[in-house]
Amino acid sequence: MRVNRLSVEGPEFVKLVREVEKKVQKLEANKWNFRTVPETFAAPDQAADVVAKELVHIFDGQTVTRIGRLIMGGVGKHFNLMGPIRSDARLNVTSSHIIDEVNHQLGSEGLLDLPQYRSLNRQPQKVEFFNYGIFYTLRDLVFWLLLHDTGCFPSTLEHMTRKFAEGYVVQNDMYTPARPSNDIKAPALMAGSCLMMQFPSKVMEWMDKPLFGGLARETIHVETLLTIKPARISHPHLPLTAESKVEIGHQAYYLRRFAGVSPKDALRGPDVTGESAAD
Amino acid sequence: MNSTISSYDFHVRGEIPTLMAGSLVVACSRRHKDHGVFSRWHDSQADLVRIDLSPGKPGRMTATVLSVDPQGVGLRLPDAMGARMLETPNAETPFYETQPNHGINVEGGHVWATNLLFGAPLEVEIRTWQPTRVLRFLNRNEQSPQTSSTSHFAWSLDRRYAYFHQSLLETEGLKEPVKARDLSLVRLDTRTGAEKLWGITPPPTDANLETANFHSAFYFELGGTQCVGLLRTGALLESLAPHNPLRNYAEHTVLPMPRSTIWIIKLDETKQTLQAELLPGMEEFNGMALSHLDVDARGGDGFVLFANYKQADVAEETHGKNLYDEKPEDVCDHYSGMIVEPINYGSVMRYDCRGNKRSLSVFSRGYDPGQTSEGHTWLPINLCLDSAKQRVFGTFSGFRPRLLSRHIAQAYPGKVVDERRIRYVPPLLMRFDANTLEPDTDKKRRHLSYAEPIAMTVVGENGRDYVCTFSPEVGVRIYEADNLSAVVCHGVCHELWSWEDSHFRPDPAHMEFVPG
Repeated sequence: MRVNRLSVEGPEFVKLVREVEKKVQKLEANKWNFRTVPETFAAPDQAADVVAKELVHIFDGQTVTRIGRLIMGGVGKHFNLMGPIRSDARLNVTSSHIIDEVNHQLGSEGLLDLPQYRSLNRQPQKVEFFNYGIFYTLRDLVFWLLLHDTGCFPSTLEHMTRKFAEGYVVQNDMYTPARPSNDIKAPALMAGSCLMMQFPSKVMEWMDKPLFGGLARETIHVETLLTIKPARISHPHLPLTAESKVEIGHQAYYLRRFAGVSPKDALRGPDVTGESAAD
Repeated sequence: MNSTISSYDFHVRGEIPTLMAGSLVVACSRRHKDHGVFSRWHDSQADLVRIDLSPGKPGRMTATVLSVDPQGVGLRLPDAMGARMLETPNAETPFYETQPNHGINVEGGHVWATNLLFGAPLEVEIRTWQPTRVLRFLNRNEQSPQTSSTSHFAWSLDRRYAYFHQSLLETEGLKEPVKARDLSLVRLDTRTGAEKLWGITPPPTDANLETANFHSAFYFELGGTQCVGLLRTGALLESLAPHNPLRNYAEHTVLPMPRSTIWIIKLDETKQTLQAELLPGMEEFNGMALSHLDVDARGGDGFVLFANYKQADVAEETHGKNLYDEKPEDVCDHYSGMIVEPINYGSVMRYDCRGNKRSLSVFSRGYDPGQTSEGHTWLPINLCLDSAKQRVFGTFSGFRPRLLSRHIAQAYPGKVVDERRIRYVPPLLMRFDANTLEPDTDKKRRHLSYAEPIAMTVVGENGRDYVCTFSPEVGVRIYEADNLSAVVCHGVCHELWSWEDSHFRPDPAHMEFVPG
């Protein structure tokens, strides 16, 4: 999402926190209906999405480890990247070593193997994630969104609400491109640092389908699954494009690669803006 | 193909309640992942999933999957048909004996799984998860090569007898759509396996056989008379066979569905044919695709019926340009065998017919993003009463505007949603007060849950109930019925999430619980 208020300093910030707290209380008392606090709506012309992602999933029958490099697109100066993660997950910034090594051993260029990615025809800007945070409740999340004048779409928030109900938390960080764009036809394309997430599971769990953020209706993926034993696991949306074996750090893995394009959820018709207070 | 069986474990988080010792039974549709191919949703490969639940923390969930052979080769037909074995068809055919990817009916150690519209119920023994019979009671022939059966059976008050409709479907003529014939009511004795078949004479004022199909049935007794109600859904098929990809993937004229009605049939053991009557008091209501129901017929003196109108042309196949004139190849959210999106929001009705009392109430609501706590009624799917019959739970599939075909929308001028204003509507699970049909609202929003799978069942006794939802992608979620804002258990299974080179699409609609 586009972040409209990156920060506020000194006494103004104290005042802002109090005001936002009142709004959150009002929303909560009104069953989180945005109509009661219309400024909770994100601007309907929001345009920020994950455009492409390159992921390596390591599944050993006990734990899922996911290492990912995301390519974000957006119109605006500052953005946040937000997503539900399992409450017992460990999330950290990491190097791209494993992704690069897998590609090297496969003779692949990762996302550049896909014509849809090549057709973007632009090198993404490098961005750093900063101000990492975890939201444990819907209240925390909405407070942050209002404090930073980011807002959100009610339907998107409902998806997050469901994740909280299921025992997830929401991780959040911010990023700022050096060369921002105000043109939806030429949004800034940004490559974040690699993120790694690890959580216990005895079954392979893929990422949820992302929700449409007003910019990219589709996500371009290259997802590689590494398993210690041979597996027939397939991806919910992508075709299998390669099967192989690789060795990383003296450990041999069976590899299955899935690549292509998948639709986002919550898509709307062309020229239809996002949910807004004016509806 | 022959039916095949395989088993998989779930990863379970939380606690499986003791009350849920047993199995969840789900009928799934399976399709390949090619976005560029369109197919009729009714015809998807059917896979029947039995999820065995062992309560505890951690509990255990195991899925056993039966991939169904649509021709039922090697299975028996009912005794009324000579109990003969089904054989491989002599020639390739688009028609099938059974493709049970939709409804689930359970009693006495058996499941009868059904299609939304086509084919005959498949009988499966729950313990072994092996198919045993195909419940086809009518002879298919060249002119009438397909059957239609009720998806959701009616049950006698003691649940001994199941009732469902079955008829043959006649192939369309040059200027005539598909037509039903040999309308029949079947009674199945689940204890002895005995069967009885009656012919049905349509109500004189609702006798159009082109739209005589019945998605759900219910049983009640009134003044000492046993009756079966049939929801006449009114699907209108321009062609019986699925569209041929070489000829008619293009847009074509869609014949609009008429308003739905309810037929009431008084049972009479002495007659061969029973006269159906229309349930009175519904003439003013113009809802379309009346389909799923739950009924409170306790006491044997009438009933309270809860049923939903989908406002979706459930006979159609999705292809061609969409509501926004976008070409199918530009709409990435297409998937093979898609459900037909509704043309507008649907509704839920409550019909009270007890003693001399008759009343009808209807709940119908669009989606207001500014007031999400009020819920919506976009594409209603399930309705399920709790154990005390005081609350009714409904699931609603929502709306994906880009998946509504233009040629379908054009058949319903004045009824179709405004495409410039409508957006995605998220799926919803919502609790209603069964006495008023108003949302059972709660200050803490414990009465609803968005982004929820639509297959749902309520499991309970003595006023303590759990609501359970399932989709292959999201997994099994269990809630206390009082609080839909906190999951008590969640189980996920990657083999169901993605099945080799195919996947389960659309999400299954229905699920039933079988106590262990």
